[in-house]
Amino acid sequence: MFGNRTTVLHSYWTTLRANRPHRSLFLKYFVTLFVVGVAPLMVGAISEAGFGYQDRRRQIDEVLDVEARSAANRIQTFIDGIRGQLGWTVQLAWTEADDERRRVDALRLLRQVPAISSIALVDHTGHERVFVSRLGLNRIGRGPDLSAAPAVLGARARKAWYGPLRYERDSEPYMTIAVSGNRAATGVAIAEINLKLIWDVIAAIKIGDTGLAFVFDDDGRLIAHPDISLVLRGAVGSSDFDQVKSAVAAAPGAAVMTKDAAGKDVVAASARIASLNWTVIAQQPVSEALASIRAALWRSSVLIAVMASFAIALAYWLAYRMSKPIRQLEDGVQKLGAGQFGHRITISSGDELEQLADRVNEMAKELAISKDKSERINLLKRFLAPQVAELVERSGRERLLSGQRRDVVAIFGDLRGFTAFASRSEPHVIMPVVKEYYRALGAVITRHEATLASFTGDGVMVLVNAPVARADPALHGIRLAIDMQAALQPLVARWSAKGYTIGFGVGIAMGPAIVGTVGYEGRMDYTAIGSVVNLASRLCDLAKDTQVLTDPVIAREVKDAVPLVPLGEHPIKGYDRPSQVFMVAPCSERSPEITFRAQKLTEKAEWREHKATGLEPIAPLAAPCRAAPADVSA
Amino acid sequence: MRRRAFISLVGGAIAWPLVARADKSFGRRRVLWISTDSQPDPFLDGFREGLHSRGYVEGRNVVLDVHYSQGNPGALRRMIPELGSGSIDLVVSSGPATRAIKDVTSVPVLFALSGDPIELGLVNSLAQPGGNFTGSTFLSLDLAGKRVELLKEILPTLRKLIVLSNTDHPGEQSEWCATRRVAHALRIEPIYVPFKGVHELHNALAAAGNARAEAMLVFPDAVTMVHRARLAEFAVTHQLPSMFGWSEYCDAGGLVSYGANQRTTYFGLAEYADRILRGERPANLPVQQPAEFELTVNLKTAEALGIDLVASSFLFRANKVIE
Repeated sequence: MFGNRTTVLHSYWTTLRANRPHRSLFLKYFVTLFVVGVAPLMVGAISEAGFGYQDRRRQIDEVLDVEARSAANRIQTFIDGIRGQLGWTVQLAWTEADDERRRVDALRLLRQVPAISSIALVDHTGHERVFVSRLGLNRIGRGPDLSAAPAVLGARARKAWYGPLRYERDSEPYMTIAVSGNRAATGVAIAEINLKLIWDVIAAIKIGDTGLAFVFDDDGRLIAHPDISLVLRGAVGSSDFDQVKSAVAAAPGAAVMTKDAAGKDVVAASARIASLNWTVIAQQPVSEALASIRAALWRSSVLIAVMASFAIALAYWLAYRMSKPIRQLEDGVQKLGAGQFGHRITISSGDELEQLADRVNEMAKELAISKDKSERINLLKRFLAPQVAELVERSGRERLLSGQRRDVVAIFGDLRGFTAFASRSEPHVIMPVVKEYYRALGAVITRHEATLASFTGDGVMVLVNAPVARADPALHGIRLAIDMQAALQPLVARWSAKGYTIGFGVGIAMGPAIVGTVGYEGRMDYTAIGSVVNLASRLCDLAKDTQVLTDPVIAREVKDAVPLVPLGEHPIKGYDRPSQVFMVAPCSERSPEITFRAQKLTEKAEWREHKATGLEPIAPLAAPCRAAPADVSA
Repeated sequence: MRRRAFISLVGGAIAWPLVARADKSFGRRRVLWISTDSQPDPFLDGFREGLHSRGYVEGRNVVLDVHYSQGNPGALRRMIPELGSGSIDLVVSSGPATRAIKDVTSVPVLFALSGDPIELGLVNSLAQPGGNFTGSTFLSLDLAGKRVELLKEILPTLRKLIVLSNTDHPGEQSEWCATRRVAHALRIEPIYVPFKGVHELHNALAAAGNARAEAMLVFPDAVTMVHRARLAEFAVTHQLPSMFGWSEYCDAGGLVSYGANQRTTYFGLAEYADRILRGERPANLPVQQPAEFELTVNLKTAEALGIDLVASSFLFRANKVIE
């Protein structure tokens, strides 16, 4: 019974192993612990980077805005300075003999303001009176009439007039500034300004390490840039900045991200110089503007990497610690399932898992004991009826099996004519006969709780009163013998119907014998040794079909319960003197009264036995009693 | 827009330290300096100084091959095929040498000229050179007239003016024409004393000494620059108020000079050299022109010549006065 359970368990584990889930417990623990450890860190770092980025963007916006305004102010101051200096030349009203003094004024102005490349002083009539230049020849005296020139008209209308940007020889940026005094009589000063000299102003503006400012006019032409060569490219080079210019124009007052002339990503902000219609753009490469954020991100990444490795190590350790005992348990249980009850699981985690391991270990111990016991019972069942075997096992009366001398009833049963039948017939005919024969006999023996000593070919040897003692063993034995005969006769009838001439005879004797287990490891039998065994065997040999022959001892014991027919003295092989032989009377010769008495006696004996041993009473004999032929030749 | 920028920022943050480190590699570059003059070369010094200020160390990250072919542009012309071999990264030419190698197309060439590079066919325009040539021009034509005018201011009675000129110099004829035109306008008779290279300088000075002029104008170029002390001394010896192109002449004893600062120019040329060595194309680098001009006066020389400049309205205009 237990062996069967073991097989089931084993196959269960095999199936489980084959269908084992792909993601092991270890992996699940590991991933969970890792995510729990690293996810908050990453969320923190990313959100911090996000907020940091926004702060930095706001800061860059402000810085660039301030720089652009500051550059615009400086350029305004530069131009205002030139205008202010020009103002000196238009303070006094013109007189006819003024030219030489005015020439000196103009030369001093050239000396004073490097950006001015030439100055023309125009009198109240609009005629040029003095012209001095750094490159061209100076002129003095009444010159051409400039009263209709835009510079003169502009200056007269608005005090100061700023001419459009132009590129000298398509390269150098120049502009005309005209200034008039507070009265028409003071005339107009017209100065040519070399705007390359704004370079000093623009080049001085540093935003971070590589940020810069540059200036262009409303026509989009470049006026000033720290890289002067870009300005010197003239109108052609100005188009390089179209992207920045349009991006900045699209978002006035805010810094925008765009690409500069070289295609690099920049942040740019603008400020306007209203009086000149110029725009200053301050820009900084994105890479530099966001360098601090990048550095912070880099630090965070390194930190995350370090923490992630730490989390990996920790998660691995924890997952290992958690899954290892479970795997040990799994392995342990699997070994138990495979029947290795000696296996013990060693877990010292100090928690529920350790407790579970202890429970499993206890279970294994119990299973081992139980298996041991069941094996012993199985051994007993080889010659004892199952319930007797379990009783013997439960009461620990194994000593019953050890060798001892006692009175036993030995019963031999044997088929008549079987040898001749077997020699004539094919195995497929013989084996069903043998099988039917033993099934019928076995059922009777088990029902009577007798001890099966041996099967030999067509013979069977049964003991009563050993190893378990029975009250009234003689009666018990004779009833068993009768029942054997009763169980076999229907078979005999069927066999003879098939033409098999097979009969069944039983011999029974009672007397002292030595009983005990004999045999060797794993192949043990319980048997009895003594003359009583020989006697029973001889009586069996004597018995004809349907006959149950007894010795005088049995006959004396059961004469009140079972009608016997004395058959007189017969010589017994191995015995010096002939022995009295009795035959159980056939059914038809038994009076109902006697049968009833035998029944009662048996029940009484069984009831006593039940009180003493707890064995269930045997069901009343219901074997049909059929008329048997008085003699059947063996 | 912002989100995209932020995402690219996050992505870039990982790669950033790698990118930040990658830029500095810069092999050793070869620069060929050619001149038809001879050493000592004041322009080379200015150029060297400019290179050093931009982090170049000769022998380590730049090799300056100096090639002089005194008064013999033909020898330089024969070098042209060699330039194509690829071992030279940049040619810097000074003086007449530029004209000698104007057919070079395989190597970027930087020049410093007093003449007009468009007229010489070196560049398409000042703003967009368009080829492998770029550099500096000194606006000498305008300045040539201005120098005559300044001399006239110092010596209002000036009638005869020696014009000493090295004909090897590119654009020399234009300069002489401009000078002559202004001189005539100011009613001055220019006495043209040309010489070809340093060998003829002695004879030229002898001729000038016999010219009976009242002042001397010397065209700025490498030869007169190198022999500036001798010229200044000659002028004083012959009681000639002298006018030069660069302030170095006054340092050596010349009376007046008016022109762009040479060192600044060559210093600036070094910036272009740097940019070209870093991969920029000369075609996109506009030809530079000086923005500021120095008027230098040597008062000691004035005193020696017996000219009272202190009382005149001239001195306040000087950027530099040597006392």
